[in-house]
Amino acid sequence: MPLPRRPTLLRHSALATVIVAMIACAGPAADAPPAATGRDAAAVELRPVTVEEWRIELARLEGRIAVVDMWATWCIPCIERFPHMVELFHRYEAEGVTFVSVCLDDPGDEQAVASARRFLEGQRAVFANYLITENTADAFEKLDLLSIPAVFIYAADGELRYRLTADDPNDQFTDSDVEAAISNLLGELPLV
Amino acid sequence: MTKKLTRMFVCLVGLLILGSAVASAGQYNAVVDIGAPMPEFSDLPATDGSTLSSDDLEEDIVVLVFLANHCPWVKGMDADLVALVDELEGQSVRFVGVSVNHRDDDRLPAMKEHALANGYNFTYVFDESQALGRRLGATTTPEYFVFGKDRRLAYMGLIHNSPASKRRDGTVNYTRGEPTDFYVRDAVAALSAGDEVPVAETRSHGCSVEYQRADG
Repeated sequence: MPLPRRPTLLRHSALATVIVAMIACAGPAADAPPAATGRDAAAVELRPVTVEEWRIELARLEGRIAVVDMWATWCIPCIERFPHMVELFHRYEAEGVTFVSVCLDDPGDEQAVASARRFLEGQRAVFANYLITENTADAFEKLDLLSIPAVFIYAADGELRYRLTADDPNDQFTDSDVEAAISNLLGELPLV
Repeated sequence: MTKKLTRMFVCLVGLLILGSAVASAGQYNAVVDIGAPMPEFSDLPATDGSTLSSDDLEEDIVVLVFLANHCPWVKGMDADLVALVDELEGQSVRFVGVSVNHRDDDRLPAMKEHALANGYNFTYVFDESQALGRRLGATTTPEYFVFGKDRRLAYMGLIHNSPASKRRDGTVNYTRGEPTDFYVRDAVAALSAGDEVPVAETRSHGCSVEYQRADG
């Protein structure tokens, strides 16, 4: 059963503030304070895909719990939330949870795409990162998105079990909803 | 047996009520559907120093548009909004821009600067309570809500079919090329003529509206 979703609480942490200021200034995200991980930023990739190609990639994730973060550099709440996704990735990677980000920046805006790549590097987002190459309005429609940030969480059988969005003003998701959803799905896995 | 039947009846009525509540949402709106009444509001501060209440709106048609200064999709379509207001000048139509985000760059001081810089030719108010946005289910900026003389919702969604954003280099990118379907303009024209609005709802596109949690 989907979790009850609650209104968004923007967590204005000092880190988020630094990141937002950096993006707003179009400064190099790679200059961001290093995230709490020792992995090399060189391992960070942003792979351009069409929505159809993304769906194929998504289908390949079946068999594992998959957390998909839809984001863009123009979406400030997305930028504010992203460090939490990276934190969850490190917390749950060993438990077999896959994290993926799908960037919805304007693919024709070279500065925006470069900024997205630098941001991911600054975050040490060493999971799979995709950039949708279709125009953003069409991409939203094909992905059935009204707004971002949005986090889609798939069970190991490939079913979309948690569609966490800000689509309802009275029921916007929070970071704790993401954690609770992952925890619930992990609790459903058979004990080995 | 009678008690059991009564319980079943109560459950059935409850489900019907719940069902009708869900059905009140639009195709792309979690809260309202076409035909919903315009929420009342009072004394919202505007960028020109005045305040605005729903009772002040005497025009036949009211267009509420949710905006956010920081949002590249608002910046990309500001000129289209200003042009539409200009185009409809002389008609009994009132445009009201509404900002509800609590970010500093979406609050009144920044709104004043943004309105001035972009030639806003309509009333631009700040709703700190966010009540107007919540009651209309507004979740993106820009997002339009058009009300007729009866103050019932006649259209909601995009201004036109090619959402535009302002790129980092300052240019505006229309995602689907030159717009060809002008939903707000068509809705106003239909309402003015007493006709049915041709397209009553579209999928709005833009930045998320950030609502405060009850405990936030």
